[in-house]
Amino acid sequence: MQEYLANGRLSRLCLKELRESLRDRRTIITLIMMPILVYPLLSMALQRLLIGAAGSNTKSSPEYVIGVEDEATAKVIGSALRETQRAASSGIRSSIDIRRPLREYLPGSPEPTSTDPLDLRDTSQSAGQVFDSNVSNILPSTGDAAFSIVIPEGIRVSESLQSGDLDLAVLSATLNRNSLPGGGTYPAFEFQLEFRDGDPRSEAAMLEFRKAMQLVNDFQFASLSQGKIPPAVQLVSSAVGMRADPMASIAGIIPLVLILMTITGAVYPAIDLTAGERERGTMEAMIATPAPRFVLLLSKYVAVVTVAVLTACANLFASWLTLSMGGLGRALLGEKGFSFLALIQILPLLVIFAAFFSAILLAMCSFARSFKEAQSYLIPVMLVSLAPALVTLMPNIQFSTLLGIVPLVNILLLSRDIMTGTPSALPAFAAVLSTLLYAGAALVIASKLFGAESATAGSQETWSELVRRPKRLRARPDISELAIYLALLFPIFFVATNLAGQWKLDISSMLMVNAVMLLILFLLLPALYAWYRRLQFGETFLLSIHGDAPGGAWVRGLRFLGVIGSVALLAAGLWIVAYEALKVLSDLGFGTLNLERTAGLEEAKAQFLKIPFGMILIATAIVPAIAEEFFFRGFVLSALRTRLSTLRAVLYSAVLFGLFHVINGSMLSLERFVPTTILGLALGYLAVRTNALWPGILLHAIHNGLLFWLTRFSQSELAQWFGSDQEHFPIVWIVASAISIGLGLTLLFVSTLKRPDEISA
Amino acid sequence: MITATHLRKQFLVRGQPLVAVDGISFDVGNGEVYGLLGPNGAGKTTTLRMIMGLIEPDAGHVEIGGVRTDHEPAKIRHQLGLISTNDGVYPWLSVREMLMYFADLYAVDVPVAQTRLEELSDLLGIRPFLDQRCSTLSTGQKQRVTLARGLMHDPPVMLLDEPTRGLDVVGSQTVFEFIELLKQRGKSVLLSTHRLDEAERVCDRFGLLHHGTIRFEGTLAELRALTGKIHLVDMFIEMIRSDQPNAGIAPAGA
Repeated sequence: MQEYLANGRLSRLCLKELRESLRDRRTIITLIMMPILVYPLLSMALQRLLIGAAGSNTKSSPEYVIGVEDEATAKVIGSALRETQRAASSGIRSSIDIRRPLREYLPGSPEPTSTDPLDLRDTSQSAGQVFDSNVSNILPSTGDAAFSIVIPEGIRVSESLQSGDLDLAVLSATLNRNSLPGGGTYPAFEFQLEFRDGDPRSEAAMLEFRKAMQLVNDFQFASLSQGKIPPAVQLVSSAVGMRADPMASIAGIIPLVLILMTITGAVYPAIDLTAGERERGTMEAMIATPAPRFVLLLSKYVAVVTVAVLTACANLFASWLTLSMGGLGRALLGEKGFSFLALIQILPLLVIFAAFFSAILLAMCSFARSFKEAQSYLIPVMLVSLAPALVTLMPNIQFSTLLGIVPLVNILLLSRDIMTGTPSALPAFAAVLSTLLYAGAALVIASKLFGAESATAGSQETWSELVRRPKRLRARPDISELAIYLALLFPIFFVATNLAGQWKLDISSMLMVNAVMLLILFLLLPALYAWYRRLQFGETFLLSIHGDAPGGAWVRGLRFLGVIGSVALLAAGLWIVAYEALKVLSDLGFGTLNLERTAGLEEAKAQFLKIPFGMILIATAIVPAIAEEFFFRGFVLSALRTRLSTLRAVLYSAVLFGLFHVINGSMLSLERFVPTTILGLALGYLAVRTNALWPGILLHAIHNGLLFWLTRFSQSELAQWFGSDQEHFPIVWIVASAISIGLGLTLLFVSTLKRPDEISA
Repeated sequence: MITATHLRKQFLVRGQPLVAVDGISFDVGNGEVYGLLGPNGAGKTTTLRMIMGLIEPDAGHVEIGGVRTDHEPAKIRHQLGLISTNDGVYPWLSVREMLMYFADLYAVDVPVAQTRLEELSDLLGIRPFLDQRCSTLSTGQKQRVTLARGLMHDPPVMLLDEPTRGLDVVGSQTVFEFIELLKQRGKSVLLSTHRLDEAERVCDRFGLLHHGTIRFEGTLAELRALTGKIHLVDMFIEMIRSDQPNAGIAPAGA
């Protein structure tokens, strides 16, 4: 294996595959010609669609629907509009320039109405008009637009507005009589309105309404005779998001097209480099070489991903150019359009997707003996995978947390949300991590399938080998099994933690559920898997007491003590480091604890303190320590060590350990990544040095126990400890903990040293 | 150099077991050309694939230079070269690129591979089109490239699977010259073919394979003495004929 990864050999192998793909004109056509053709055509189609949609809404004189909460409000609005009519009949035109964008009038920006003193005569008669309660008085106003007033039943106006039934929502409307300095009164209106952000119709309604109200003020201003008085109409408007935004669903087309094009880019090279090899008769000669199949597949995979990413880049750029040039981007995606930032964010998503789908394609094509056969496999797969993709075009679909683990759909929804500027963190994290894990598993399956003689069933390494119960006992899981296990475990883990978070349990039940879940996912399932796949438990989960330490009882005893001592020293230091890392990262803004949740936490803490500490220790320290060590330092590390150097194996297992801890119920706690990974490194090193699991369990349990013990104290008690600094350990403590960790590592190193004569043994 | 011991392989064809190779054993010495002969479907290709480690035998094993193929498959593959009828070329790569690619697949260091490429270019006459795309080559040129490809890692053992099938007289002659070349270089050659007349010309020893078993084995002289026939073709026809009445009578007797 090593000889194929060194001396640039792997890159030369990849280069051969790339040459083969890129010298083929058909690849180039999909790579360059398609984006050039597709996006202009698509933009033309979309533009027609938008014009069609807008045309049906805004025929000659539009009539806007204003929603109010009750009859009283309806009356106030009605009288204001009647004022408008009166002003209009006097021949005054509104001073609002309708072409000015609406956003200038949002709260915070100065009201452009003439705030000069105004005069208005009493209009009490007109204010007393009667309205139909439910629907409609069609009120002609300025002649430019008509408004009808409705009182939605059983729903707040704001919600009705968001779902698109209304064009405007009146949150509050008051009518007062202001007195004029020279005696007499005039009606003064105060409105608070909402419109849908980014919806042309609602924005137009807002503008028309404002125009109508401005007319009233202008009329008052025109008939001004006295000193400074407040304007007749004061209006505050605010934008609300669209709940069922038809435009947002159209926006979902863009990621879908991008994904489709990425797939298209990958399909041809994937078929060409696998089934094509068979068809050309080069496969057998290649398989007959000593080059490991994984290396062969990897070089092909790199080439396919590269072509797919190149296609994605070309398409992304072309779509960006099309959308930002024609103004179509703003119509589809709101004010900012398709920003360059969104482009930069979507590119890595497409890369991740390309990595995932290329592996799937290679796995599918590895079955095939000819181009034709490969195509007949791929077309159904693509159609099947597109069905859920089309779901993302549905107007009401939200990128919920659980959709984060659905392949393809997650990337589509995440790209859509990035484009419309509303991505949320947890599903995004789940989307990226799960897609990467699926890609790994698919790659493993592809490498098992690749080159397998499909004509000769039961030969060599086939995929059934990954599923069937092996006949022979094996020492450790293979790295390929780990990839597949992780791809299965992560979605289960993610769904389970999320569901548990939604159950609204009290804290003690929550702790129990969490503990049971950890036991099932990290201990029971790996153990079952190990049993089914005939893995040696002792080797896989490092179950021996003395590890592989040789020597007599004396030496063993001393070593045992040394390990215990080093665990104690590490435990004494690590929790402080973990606490500080958590604090520093939270302070840097990686924390997800906002004010709202802190308030909830205080309450939770009060509940938490009522639970016996023994139970907390079991649920948060002992059970997690056993279950997680069993999985991360047992299963994962053992599997990684079969192929990787010890250093890398420890590093990767620690990163994985950190990543799993970022998901915290239904929240994303990015600040936990670094401290957990550090702990994972220490635990990994401990497991590797001692070749036993128990020291890690011990360290892990003490570490968690100490951190949770800290939560027993109130802020004031902690402040006493921490001295002047309210939140951090005193510097002496931190230095001491660093020394303790250093000593612990040294003691561990020394007490697990092997004498030269033992190394060979 | 090659020692096959009691090799056996059974396939499932539409649910029915089919014994492709039924416990065959043979040896190929250093510098020897051994002809594994038989009609289509006799089990020649299956045998070669088991030697290559492409398929696992149900029983028996193969040793190359005293090392069992199932014990150290990667090491064994460095020792083996394979050229078969179906071998193709990469249309989008130049001849040089393709040969250097295979050198990489065999983990041959680049300078070594370059010297070998130069040497083989002259030996097999591929120098004129070394930097041409393979898609532009004629059948004969492609064949030479394939032969060169088999020698890029200079293996001590060469397996030839029906190397002349579909070739004209000139093409076949190239293959014979190639086998001569291998012989000169002291390679062990296992030639599988159904062209018995050709085999007679180049092989030192023969194994006559039929229905997955070796019926006769030996040098041409030994076979002639054994069967009383002069040509391999006659021996074969005799062998197949002697089988057929058996097939008709057997059910009653056996």
